[in-house]
Amino acid sequence: MRRRLADPAPTGSPARRRAGLAIAARVIVLAALAVLAVPAARPALAQIPGAGPELLSPDRAFRLSARALDADTVEVRFDIADGYYLYRDRMSFRVEPVPAASALLPPGKRKHDAFFGDVDTYRGIVDLRVPLKHAAAPGEMLTLYAETQGCADAGVCYPPNPQQVRITVPAAGARAGDFVEPRSKRLFN
Amino acid sequence: MRRRTLIIGGAIAAVTGVGAGYAAVEASRMRRRSSAALLGLVLPDLAGREQPLAQWRGKVVVVNFWATWCGPCREEMPHFVRTQAAQGANGLQFVGIAVDQAAKVREFAGQLGINYPLLIGGYGAIELSKTLGNSVGALPFTIIIDRHGELAWSHLGAVKEPQFSALVAKLLAAT
Repeated sequence: MRRRLADPAPTGSPARRRAGLAIAARVIVLAALAVLAVPAARPALAQIPGAGPELLSPDRAFRLSARALDADTVEVRFDIADGYYLYRDRMSFRVEPVPAASALLPPGKRKHDAFFGDVDTYRGIVDLRVPLKHAAAPGEMLTLYAETQGCADAGVCYPPNPQQVRITVPAAGARAGDFVEPRSKRLFN
Repeated sequence: MRRRTLIIGGAIAAVTGVGAGYAAVEASRMRRRSSAALLGLVLPDLAGREQPLAQWRGKVVVVNFWATWCGPCREEMPHFVRTQAAQGANGLQFVGIAVDQAAKVREFAGQLGINYPLLIGGYGAIELSKTLGNSVGALPFTIIIDRHGELAWSHLGAVKEPQFSALVAKLLAAT
């Protein structure tokens, strides 16, 4: 820098122009960073002291996936994050356009609740089946609607959480496909 | 060159400063708007009477979002009952907003002898609580509004002692 001050390159020389461009670029980058930092800083500043534990959104805490096992059974999976649990008696399922019968729920783990008495809860991975009232057509698209309610060991509960996932009935004679997650939630969560 | 560095540095500092200032002002405005919206609410109580929250303006108002289906919510309510009894005369007002049905809340309130208003918010109350800092929409979620109607504190999960009582005492003492 000193050298250049002592021996200035003629205005408009390539070296000087390059230096000028480099500085301009740096200013633009830093200004852009400063501007970008504003929205990034906003949620942090908007948080009020004592805002509580870091918690997952219900869709992440209770990950739903499903598949058509065959023409008349939907298999549903909940992958429940560590430290979270779902209430067995607070699950409901619906399938469209083929109506579903009652879900076959595996036994849960008994937990005592001061208000509701003994309740069954699920942790970890839970697989359950939703039988259809009549067989769906091979290759038919079905929508599974699930509503569940759960809590976190950290000491909070989530309101009933509706989720939905689109699944395809396997072709005649084909094996059941892979579990499918709700599309929008997989993208945005 | 040094001067140019200074100018650039100054410009960046100014931009950052303005940005941070803007963020702080915006955050405070957001909180004011949310607490103003909350105080502007009118919700039915357990008898079905419409209760404007504005009637408690000027007090230190603890708004507790809860539900009968939420174990951790029910567990901390006896503590709220005791705090209301002890500090009510000093200008403290608890208000419970239930993310629930009136019949269930009535049954529960009868069992527990709740000494502060319980209002029925339904699931819409969860959306409101999100604007007040309830990031994941879970319960219990508790906020404190100071005597000026400003949101002073918000907390997801059961309140923690002695911090909660200390903050309440401080806000009650503030003019």
